[in-house]
Amino acid sequence: MKGAAGAWERAVVVGAFLALPLALFTLGVMLVVTALQAGLWTNMHALEAAGLVLTTRSLNLPDGTTLPYVAAAQVREGSAAAALGIARGDVLVEAGGRAVDRPLAAWSSLAALPGRTLEVPLRWVPRAEVLLGTLQVRWEEGQARVVLAAPAPLAMGQGLHPGDILLGVNGTPVTGTRQAWEALVTAARTGAVPAELTVRRGEVSLVLLFDPRREGELPVERNVWRAWARFLTRIGDPRYPEQAGLLPALLGSLGVVLVMALVAFPLGISAAVYLEEYARTSRLTALLELLVASLAGLPSAVLGLLGLEIFARAFQLGRSILAGGFTLSVLILPLVIITSREALRTVPKTLREAALSVGATPWQTVRYHVLPYALPGVLTGVVLSLARALGEAAPLLLLGAFLYVNYAPQSLRDTFTVVPIQIFDWATRPQDGYAVVAACAILVLLVLVLLLNALAILLRARFQRRWAE
Amino acid sequence: MRASRALPRLTLAHLRRGKEGALRALLLLCALSALAVVAAVVALFVYESLLFFRTVPLSDFLGGTRWAPIHEPAGYGILPLIGATLVITAIALTVAVPLGFLAALFLAAYAPPHLRAWLKPVLEMLAGVPTVVYGFFALRFVTPFLQRFLPVGFWNGLSAGLVMGVMITPYMASLSDDVLYAVPRSLWEAGYALGARRPTVLLGVVVPAAFSGIGAAFVLALTRAVGETMIVALAAGRTPAWPPNPLRPLLPLTTAMVNIATGDHEAGALIWSHLFAIGLLLFLVTFGLNALSHRVIRRVRGRFA
Repeated sequence: MKGAAGAWERAVVVGAFLALPLALFTLGVMLVVTALQAGLWTNMHALEAAGLVLTTRSLNLPDGTTLPYVAAAQVREGSAAAALGIARGDVLVEAGGRAVDRPLAAWSSLAALPGRTLEVPLRWVPRAEVLLGTLQVRWEEGQARVVLAAPAPLAMGQGLHPGDILLGVNGTPVTGTRQAWEALVTAARTGAVPAELTVRRGEVSLVLLFDPRREGELPVERNVWRAWARFLTRIGDPRYPEQAGLLPALLGSLGVVLVMALVAFPLGISAAVYLEEYARTSRLTALLELLVASLAGLPSAVLGLLGLEIFARAFQLGRSILAGGFTLSVLILPLVIITSREALRTVPKTLREAALSVGATPWQTVRYHVLPYALPGVLTGVVLSLARALGEAAPLLLLGAFLYVNYAPQSLRDTFTVVPIQIFDWATRPQDGYAVVAACAILVLLVLVLLLNALAILLRARFQRRWAE
Repeated sequence: MRASRALPRLTLAHLRRGKEGALRALLLLCALSALAVVAAVVALFVYESLLFFRTVPLSDFLGGTRWAPIHEPAGYGILPLIGATLVITAIALTVAVPLGFLAALFLAAYAPPHLRAWLKPVLEMLAGVPTVVYGFFALRFVTPFLQRFLPVGFWNGLSAGLVMGVMITPYMASLSDDVLYAVPRSLWEAGYALGARRPTVLLGVVVPAAFSGIGAAFVLALTRAVGETMIVALAAGRTPAWPPNPLRPLLPLTTAMVNIATGDHEAGALIWSHLFAIGLLLFLVTFGLNALSHRVIRRVRGRFA
């Protein structure tokens, strides 16, 4: 009996020692993985700077499965990629010596290469007209036949003639012009290259070896600082993750938090001063105390609904920064009141009595003695509230803030998005690139929030030291 | 002349008293803002909900198993949403309560003072990590990890619940530690004086003494899980399902609110008052539980003061 109780106690103690490291470890893993994902941004940006924007497409294979591939969604004119001969719609099959089945693979293969200026070996399949030339479809015996009306120089170089009829690629029959190209892409993607083309020339059937892939080395400059500077300071293009920018969200966050600070801090600190310095313990103060504590734990989405009805609709502020700031101040107010009260409570009673005994009025006591003494504590609360407000997405989503805006907000009446909502938007998009830019935005947000938290810890340490004297 | 003599003369002292009174009134007004917010929430939500319940009976709202407010015919039964919220909350608490409680035991009983002084701010910092970050983690890393050995979908309640548990753990730990730490040293000393060892004193004396406070911390963690929005909006999906299955997409109350709010609906449509009816339910549950647990925590602290 006693032994069993001892074993149980021992298990709890072991658990107690393991729980915190386990939780911290999980959170650490989370941070590291996010940082690693965000690390791909530099390579994404480097490839984009060389002119290449990638996208995922897929082929429907004859056996009913689909084969994903990476296509150039955009090739900038005059860029290194264009000089290499890559054009929009070309299929990237290899980058840095590795097969590429999704954009992430291309960026990771770049990440694996050392150095700042790289010559990235690429292999790609050009579009049908570049690869094969002008194709025509002719009906023969109830079947569609693909005829090479005017083969491209690439195709001529590999033995194809004008007038050749393309019957099959790697044994798969070809019955359409688009299908002819797709069969070659499939061959290149699956590594069945050079492909065996079954061709009829006049009355003869031939099998030609044909390599649809083109090769080249793309000069790429990888610059971490420039990549991040672009990310933070541009508005961005919503079509491609490589061209994403965080500027509208950063400005939106700044505006909303600024409005929140101007409303919630004076109001909250004043309320705390009243409750702590003026109010006698009565039913009203007990009620207020309970309300404040319960408000602090209310789901932020519920308060967002309040903002929607009052600020956006009744005050006709719409989905503006002003409405967002007011909504956030409702959310932050209880937090400011609670932390300010705690700070005021640590001011020694003797200080107040000394001030009052030399004839200071209650306000003078508060203004010149209590508040300055409690200032670091109050500031701690202020800084923590700023951090909290920066990370809030739910109330602003309910207010109707936009998921994405493609302009920098100019005034407080403009519609906006904030960094957490931008993260939400990017994270829900299926493309690889958006996971990377979402991770980047998360790093930015975390750095801001953790810096503010660290500042709060410093302030509190200062406060405690002074109190201890 | 005579009449004006009779008026009290304004002196500097009077002015000052006037200013003092005005300032006091101003500060009181600020303090009442909390009351105003709660009053506004209650008035608005009740008003809008009444509009809703005029059309849809309460029993259909709470008891209906079909939630399809934008379809024709519309279904306003929120049982699938409540079920999803309960399932995800249960998963989160299964992770957060043991982990958080054990971590609090360590902090209150075993951590050396300087380590505790370090860990407390770190816990608060972790509790301050924006929840959208946790949501991203659930969607992009935890779900693919779970897919290796469980038949879970791209969106599922399990991943959202697990990550929510990790999110709440620091909060639960910090709250429980506060309660345990408030137990006076004399109780510890009394336990030691009987010859008991530290684990025995901790589990036999201190934890029972702080039990109601730990219960309150549990309830606060619960309301946090019920009200959490961004993790579920990202990782749990957007499909209402009844009965709720944690391996499949789930639509909790908060995500349903986001769904409606981000949708494009006519002003004055019934769906808006439906949104407020859901909000009222969430408000009543969380506010009630919060108020209850804060009273309990205050009483526990008061008892030991």
